[in-house]
Amino acid sequence: MNNIIKEISLPKILVDIDSLSPGMKLVKPVVNKAGMILLGEGTLITGVIIERLNSMGVNNVYIEGPSKPQKTIEEVMLEIDERFRKTENEPYMYLLKRLIKKHIEGLYNK
Amino acid sequence: MDIQRLREQIERIDTLPTVPVILKKLLGVIENPKVSLNEISNFISSDQVLTTRILKMVNSSIYGFPGRIYSVNQALILLGLNAVKGMLLSVSIFDAMKKTMMGLWEHSVGCAITARKIAQRKGFKEPEEVSIAALLHDIGKVILGLKFPEEYKNLIIDAEAQKIFIFEAEKNHFSVEHADAGEWITHKWNFPKNLVEVIKYHHKPDLSKNVPVQTAIVHIADILVRARGFGFAGDNFVPAINNSAWQTIDLSETDIKEILEETEELLEQAEDALLSE
Repeated sequence: MNNIIKEISLPKILVDIDSLSPGMKLVKPVVNKAGMILLGEGTLITGVIIERLNSMGVNNVYIEGPSKPQKTIEEVMLEIDERFRKTENEPYMYLLKRLIKKHIEGLYNK
Repeated sequence: MDIQRLREQIERIDTLPTVPVILKKLLGVIENPKVSLNEISNFISSDQVLTTRILKMVNSSIYGFPGRIYSVNQALILLGLNAVKGMLLSVSIFDAMKKTMMGLWEHSVGCAITARKIAQRKGFKEPEEVSIAALLHDIGKVILGLKFPEEYKNLIIDAEAQKIFIFEAEKNHFSVEHADAGEWITHKWNFPKNLVEVIKYHHKPDLSKNVPVQTAIVHIADILVRARGFGFAGDNFVPAINNSAWQTIDLSETDIKEILEETEELLEQAEDALLSE
């Protein structure tokens, strides 16, 4: 599944309890309906924790996404080239690709 | 498989045990084409989860209404009946969407925000309706995923292995693609005609007769979000822009640059607002 979600650029992703596995790390605290923190940010997920979350009726949690540590700008640019590979010769696509690259560069230079 | 048979199977999808209970209840209400805002309001208010999700969504950066919206009635007045029907559908399939394809929800939210930004920039009069249509444009993927869970998972893997678009993988396997499945099901379920048409033609916006501008906006939003690399829509390639859609919307370089910037900021806020249960 990891290669399928690699395009998600945000380091935070929400996963269902069913797809949670030991070794993942929480990037946001898990809070119950009353607002009480059940698990803090940074908690490492273990089998026991998954069981407990299940029994408390928690449906999903935020974990650290696969794109952390952040990709280098060169890697991201290569990905953009790859994404546009099929259609960059179509009308307006070269323009769009150039604007996206400029946008991403802007994010890195912030 | 024979297309007619496939269509019949998809149209009966609400009988599957895996279809969310809340969706089944919603269909019972939407079935009536003359359903009033009051009845919809009562329906939403009778379900705590639905109420919470609707309020979260209208208060999220997807819509960007000024001030806070506290009640379902207030939300209904701001959005109108058509947009509310679409929003109810999107919150009812939210969990199924996350299960079908990791990243599809993010892709859909990205499209909703981008579509609203384009609509507002171009002075389109109902930005909320366009935004909802963008949020739901890929509902066909969820429907195919619900009906054929194993096959659909394999299609995503096939698309990646063969380096083809997901709609090509769908066509190879089913002879139709998610835009068709999305049209069939939203039509069957009596969702607003405009919404059905945007879903049907989001890959071929020049064929839309009744809502060409809305469809063109959603088409372009879809491509911008894929180009940006936000979320995952089933493959890792950016589809080509439809010529006539591009000319209809007529975005300048500055427009695109600013839309990308504005959307970037709103994306993470939306995630935080919507997904924490």
